[in-house]
Amino acid sequence: MAEEYEVRGIPSYTDKDTWARVMADGTVRIGITDYAQKMLKEIMFVDLPDVGSEVVQMQPFASAESSKALSDVYSPVSGTVKAVNDDVIGDPGIINRDPYDAGWLVAIVPSNLEEDLKSLLSADAYKDLIKEKIR
Amino acid sequence: MRTEFYYTGLSPFQQGGFMISKLNYYISPQTIPYWNLGMEAFLLEWVPENTCILYLWQNQRTVVVGKNQNCWAECNVSSLEEDGGYLVRRMSGGGSVYHDKQNLNFTFLVREEDYDVARQLEVILRAVRSFGLDARKSGRNDITIDDRKFSGNAFYKSGGKCYHHGTLLVDVDKQAMSRYLTVSSDKLQSKGVSSVKARVVNLKELCPDMTISALCDALTDAFGEVYGGRPEPIRDSSIDLSRVEELEARFASWDWRFGRNVPFSWQAQSRFPWGGLEIQLSVEKGCVIDAMVYSDAMEGDFIASIPPLLTGCKFDAASLSQALSFALASEEETILADIRQLIKEEIK
Repeated sequence: MAEEYEVRGIPSYTDKDTWARVMADGTVRIGITDYAQKMLKEIMFVDLPDVGSEVVQMQPFASAESSKALSDVYSPVSGTVKAVNDDVIGDPGIINRDPYDAGWLVAIVPSNLEEDLKSLLSADAYKDLIKEKIR
Repeated sequence: MRTEFYYTGLSPFQQGGFMISKLNYYISPQTIPYWNLGMEAFLLEWVPENTCILYLWQNQRTVVVGKNQNCWAECNVSSLEEDGGYLVRRMSGGGSVYHDKQNLNFTFLVREEDYDVARQLEVILRAVRSFGLDARKSGRNDITIDDRKFSGNAFYKSGGKCYHHGTLLVDVDKQAMSRYLTVSSDKLQSKGVSSVKARVVNLKELCPDMTISALCDALTDAFGEVYGGRPEPIRDSSIDLSRVEELEARFASWDWRFGRNVPFSWQAQSRFPWGGLEIQLSVEKGCVIDAMVYSDAMEGDFIASIPPLLTGCKFDAASLSQALSFALASEEETILADIRQLIKEEIK
């Protein structure tokens, strides 16, 4: 059932199961959704980009390896990596436990935020997408 | 010992897979693992629409680690290299496997929309069953005979194209497998993906007539039967050898094999006539980023001068020993020689 996958109201989503949240300082935090972490199951390793590298909207910028698969992670926005979450490198299980908060992956200084946000999905649209995916 | 380090997983990109209209196969003429992985990566770039490629290949003595594994935590590197073996890293995730010339590797390469892991596994099962063996699918993607694994499988997707590859143990040297894949874990604290041990069986133990070439034939036959077509060999004219060699060079490079971002720490200790010693190294991207050396030796100032010599070194016994090789007063030289020996013994 779609209800077992949490979708929060504030972030914007991609159809590749990532989310973006604009922070007070103007950076954008990126992570994977609850649906994604539940599909992957136990995440054992995340490969994150170096600070300062460029990411492009809807292009892979990181990968996550779980007991199920090695999956690319697609960026919701374009920009430059300002910070990476060292906590999830040390303990990738944080992503499973708290995908929307402590399990964020990188913080981006966006280069084209307004345009990028227009092409992302709202929480409701992403909920509908999950229903499609699990049908 | 019946252990192999092993990985299987369900890919989230599973699709229908009924659009295949063309079957191709390619049997590698080489046994150098870097070249074979380069060819696999080339075929992935090349695979046309509505086509499934079956690539069959064999490596000389090789340990293959998963994309996100720490070589030093998975493989007895020095023992493998002393025996002339290769350490390589593949693009797919999962655990470490051992290859020799009595192992046959298969790869199915398709476009994403044609990916169908159940059908691909059916080809393997059908080929193995043609030898009268009761091979079964167990769990989601494991294939076993009497609960023993003869095949380790892994998956990869990039740019809308996918592969599913695996080993087929025909008559591999299990003692060698165990020797290279057994590493004492007390010296290393590592991030990265660790391997899962499994009971393994060689197909030849169960079917004495089994040979590599007979299995190759059975696989290409089963490939045609399961997909309902006639597999055709890929012509040499379709293969861009210079691109294969470019990819080969990447697989052979130190950066790809040892320099991946899988941080770990390593430590060793010993007692010498001049005092006790403990070394701790933090390693990132294959190089020492932080070194600590503790000792109760009289030569405290000299001991304190050692860590900066190790920082920035590649993590392997030869590079670290090299950093500690220079002419000194005799007592200090003894200390350095002892440390070099310790490093040589403890980094495997």
